[in-house]
Amino acid sequence: MLDIQGLSKSYGETPALQDVSLQVRQGELLTLLGPSGSGKTTLLKVIAGFEAPTSGRVLLRGLDISRLSPARRGVGMVFQHYALFPHMTVAQNIGYGLKLRRVGGSERERRVGEMLELLHLDGLEGRYPRQLSGGQQQRVALGRALAYDPEVILMDEPLGALDRALRLEMEEQIRGIHRELGATIVYVTHDQQEALALSDRIAIMRAGGVASVGEPAQLYRRPADSFVAGFFANANLLAVSEHELLGGGRARVLCGEGEVRCATSAAAGDPVVLAVRRRSLRPGTQPAVFVSAAIGDIIAATE
Amino acid sequence: MIRGNGGVSRALFGDRFTSAASAVVVSATAFVLLVPAALVVVLSFSNDRFFDFPPHSWGLGQYRRLLEDPRWGSALWLSVKIAVPVALLAALVVVPTLFTIHRSRLPLRHALQAGGIAGIILPISAYAVAMYGLYAQVGLLGTYWGLVLANLTLAVPVMLLVTSAAMSRIPPELELAAMVAGASRAQAWFAITLRLLAPAILAGGVLAFVTSLDEAVLVNFLGGPGLETLPKAILDSVRYGLEPVITAIATLLMVGTSLAMALAARLARRGSP
Repeated sequence: MLDIQGLSKSYGETPALQDVSLQVRQGELLTLLGPSGSGKTTLLKVIAGFEAPTSGRVLLRGLDISRLSPARRGVGMVFQHYALFPHMTVAQNIGYGLKLRRVGGSERERRVGEMLELLHLDGLEGRYPRQLSGGQQQRVALGRALAYDPEVILMDEPLGALDRALRLEMEEQIRGIHRELGATIVYVTHDQQEALALSDRIAIMRAGGVASVGEPAQLYRRPADSFVAGFFANANLLAVSEHELLGGGRARVLCGEGEVRCATSAAAGDPVVLAVRRRSLRPGTQPAVFVSAAIGDIIAATE
Repeated sequence: MIRGNGGVSRALFGDRFTSAASAVVVSATAFVLLVPAALVVVLSFSNDRFFDFPPHSWGLGQYRRLLEDPRWGSALWLSVKIAVPVALLAALVVVPTLFTIHRSRLPLRHALQAGGIAGIILPISAYAVAMYGLYAQVGLLGTYWGLVLANLTLAVPVMLLVTSAAMSRIPPELELAAMVAGASRAQAWFAITLRLLAPAILAGGVLAFVTSLDEAVLVNFLGGPGLETLPKAILDSVRYGLEPVITAIATLLMVGTSLAMALAARLARRGSP
């Protein structure tokens, strides 16, 4: 559906994206998750057409859109601070993309009506953005992005400006819309709870590149390296004094005074650390042993 | 933090003292600023042929004399004839400048911001001497368009200051949102940013108009016979013989500009999103 091939972007000497390749499938919600400065927003801007890539291509349904203006890409976008037009009513904001596409008055009205209903904004169509609460504004922004039925919807930390209770409610709503409309969504966030709650797949970004892509459960249980384990899976990373690969994805590890047998994704010769999740620790029977019955992974260290 | 009673009352006393002191300072400042203006208004309703305070007789004599002397009317007309094109041209210069400063990545855009307001930072008399030298070279001395251009150099910075503040409150994301929804860059600029900027441009236009209407220094250097603007006429009348009629003109000018300023403030407030 959306095919990102070898995308790089640098501002002067500083690289913001380095050789990013990523496929977004039809109808999935893919989250770009990473700490600030990892390049996730830059990637979104390149997909939207606000920034031109230094090299690489973006294909939408097999068509190269890298050189098209944002207007001609047929994508929708939800901004972090809503970016609603303050001089337009709710209905005018939602209908803006339709108006630019010369969709006639009655058809436009019908479509805007659908959006108002879908987003529980009935009765607010005549209000201006400043007369709405934060959650309502965010729903209008969602409606504006959905109204003209774009092929892909980009969301740049859309819940970042909302308080926690509202965030949970909006998560629910985004999930509902995603299911109901079968929309393809690329979602940017730095909040892993949000990513876990919403995503079909997650791409973990780090220093301008994709560190790991996969389904949330898979990334959480079997992180590919120490960055993913530490950032996403909340694992404690322990230094390993000695280890032995047993084959079949298992390993025996000496860590402090304890010996652990666990799963591993490391290959022979990789530097390794032991990733231990708090919830996978059980009280042991032998008092002197450091980690007696940990279920952990030893994984390839990235540093 | 818990404080004893003494502390609280000391704090209260401190509060009262500061607010009383600031009230005194504010009223003293307002008094000093407004007294001359108030005196002029009072004097404009005297019927005396010469300045005297307090006036011996009251009436609308000064206003009648103002209407009878065609010199004042034509001076006002010339001032308006200069100020209107100045305000319009200022908008034509300022709008592209704003987009360059706030929306482009040109390396010199910050210099443009600083340079754009240089006209009102430089001492006006020094500026006038420099323009006199320049105008003498290119033959603009004593011409109508020369005065328009000179006033424009003062009106543009004033307008730029007012509108730049408004422009920096319009988030660039609005244009991006419009473009991703299907607008061209030009459509996004006109339908979104310029539309949101319109009240500030109108307010800035009013200020540019008033700045030009009130300009009294440049015209003395660059004007000439047949180019007597209202401020120049007032200065000349004071220089060659003190006519009380100028108190009537000053009063009307104050009322006019106050109304214009109130209009500008209203426009700017209504426009802020």
